[in-house]
Amino acid sequence: MKEYMRIVAAIRKSVHLSFLIAVVSVLLLSMAVPSVVGALTTDKITARSNQSGGNAVIGGQPTRVTWEGTVTAGEQISFVQLDLPEGTRVNDDSRVEVTILDGLERVKAIQTSEISDEKATVSFSEPVPENMILRIELYNISLPEKAGEYELTGSFKTAEGNLQELERAPQPIVVAEMTTVETIIMWLNQQEWVNAWNSVPFFRIFLNPQMAVTAIPLLFIGWLRSFALVMAGFPLAIPIGLGVSFLRMSKIKLVRFISGIFVNVIRGTPLFLQIYIAFFGLPAMGIKISDYLLGILVLAMNSSAYLAEIFRAGIQSISKGQFEAANSLGMNGIQTMFYVIIPQTVRRVIPTATSEFILLYKDTSLLAAVGVMEMMMFGKSLVANTGNMTPYVIAAGYYLLVTMPLTRVISTFEKKLALSEGRDH
Amino acid sequence: MTEMKKRFLLIGLVLVLVLGASALVGCGSTDDTASTDQSEVSTNEESTGMVLVEPGVLTVGSDCDYPPFIAMEGEQVTGFEYDLLEAMCEEMGLTLKFLPPQNFDSILASVDQGTKMDLGASSFTITPERKELVDFSDPYFDSNQACVAMKDAGFESAMDLDGKKVGSQSGTTGSDWVKENLPNAELVEYNTASDALAALQAGQIEAAFIDEPVAAEMVAKTYTDAEVVAAIPTGEQYGFAVAKSNPGLLQVVNDALATVMNNGTYAEIFARYFDFEPTLP
Repeated sequence: MKEYMRIVAAIRKSVHLSFLIAVVSVLLLSMAVPSVVGALTTDKITARSNQSGGNAVIGGQPTRVTWEGTVTAGEQISFVQLDLPEGTRVNDDSRVEVTILDGLERVKAIQTSEISDEKATVSFSEPVPENMILRIELYNISLPEKAGEYELTGSFKTAEGNLQELERAPQPIVVAEMTTVETIIMWLNQQEWVNAWNSVPFFRIFLNPQMAVTAIPLLFIGWLRSFALVMAGFPLAIPIGLGVSFLRMSKIKLVRFISGIFVNVIRGTPLFLQIYIAFFGLPAMGIKISDYLLGILVLAMNSSAYLAEIFRAGIQSISKGQFEAANSLGMNGIQTMFYVIIPQTVRRVIPTATSEFILLYKDTSLLAAVGVMEMMMFGKSLVANTGNMTPYVIAAGYYLLVTMPLTRVISTFEKKLALSEGRDH
Repeated sequence: MTEMKKRFLLIGLVLVLVLGASALVGCGSTDDTASTDQSEVSTNEESTGMVLVEPGVLTVGSDCDYPPFIAMEGEQVTGFEYDLLEAMCEEMGLTLKFLPPQNFDSILASVDQGTKMDLGASSFTITPERKELVDFSDPYFDSNQACVAMKDAGFESAMDLDGKKVGSQSGTTGSDWVKENLPNAELVEYNTASDALAALQAGQIEAAFIDEPVAAEMVAKTYTDAEVVAAIPTGEQYGFAVAKSNPGLLQVVNDALATVMNNGTYAEIFARYFDFEPTLP
């Protein structure tokens, strides 16, 4: 038995080895063949992403494959054939579109084309002249379901009738396997109730089940980023706001004046404008900060001005008697502030400060305009690609996920506050 | 227990309200279109079978930030597309009305809905993907893509930007080109082409991908520290977008476009904005 196992292992090893040798020799061969410049060069092959909410090319799903090449000087092309990878499928909507460009100008041409599972052919009634860019687009073809890298081979005929092999493109097409989201969408596509639901324009545009399936996981990433922005920005705004509120209550007039300007300028201008100035102005001054950090800083600066006023109001609402009592106990100004006044203030400002947090959280969406990838940005690009508004509705849901519990927190705190203050007096 | 009951009652109430509201909105919108269908069929529109948001007026949506095709001068819309539509409206016997600037990436969806605007004119490249959503007029301009970078950046071809941080206008064919041809680039999509170029100037991105005629205009007039690194031959063609449910309007628009192209008006308008010969019709 052991002997048998050993033989199997040996065979396996030799199979592996021979496979390796085969691969290496193919590689060597392909390198050894001198690259002759044909009458038609292949500049690129690409495929349009057909992944909902992503950039990947999914196999087994309709996509558009583009082949682009240039006619070499002194040559003319009358026929091109693209051999499609094995497993490619065409359907009734599949078709071939040909564009010929002389530099940047479109050139009219008459051609006939055919497409099948195996190949796409284009015959030109008049040969394509030298130096022309030739683009062949294959619409609604499904690449093989198996993930991997795919090449397009093929051949072409010159005006003289010489048949030549097409050269390989510099980059193959990378096909990815279907994701869970894609599978669910495919399932939804086949459901009767989904079609009935989508037949109502409002539901199709705003509450589209397929789009929701695409948007929920994608926007979750955006939601995390939005949340991270405010979770970094708001705590940063608290000490700054507290500092500014002290300055606003300073005994020195100039300090009061300057901090007053800060608060009023920030509160008196739209956050949107502050974001634009920070993102487009600061770099022009030679200050380079990463998008996220800059976003956090602008949010923190904006919020600190509002918090400063909230804190100031909170501190000033504490009765004078408290200051006098602390003073009579021998506390100095700083001690009074930190041991007596601020602890009482915290309780009073929590509801308003939480509202400020909610406002700031919602305002992270403004950062989408300057290219910070947060939830709104994810939603926007989905809407842009599909023309469907459902991602915005999903985004609204994600915002509410944070704001609804917080509003509850606020009202609970306010009730408690009312009760305790009531007892105090 | 009563607390519990109250809560359930509340949740139920909310659900009923939400469902009721959405049903109302749903019905409301269909009712609206039905009623406008009837009321707006005036003499001119009756014969052609076109439906307009406002009778006798062609309501147009555009981002109004794409010189030399469309731009704002104060509150006045100007540009090649504006002049062309004005000439076409004269042929169609309609008054031209531009809505305030729209977000580019939402115009086609608005056209599809058909309650806000009749026609989208924002240098839309006719693509099969967009054709699934809306109908397009015959092409009125041949265009290409351009890769714009700062003059001192030293890029030589668009392919140099693979793996770099680049920008485009959200929802444009420039975005599509980057996604398909520069798979390793990090793409940031802005609301307008101007925003993308402002970001380029500010160093937020290393290159912007914009339609070539617009890139050339903006680089020459506004963003003079930037340059067109390379024109990318995409051979795109612009068309006006019309709702699929409005074939009558599409026909009228195409007829008017053909008329102005044949009677020399198109060439005259073209010469106002471009110093080369029109490639169309």
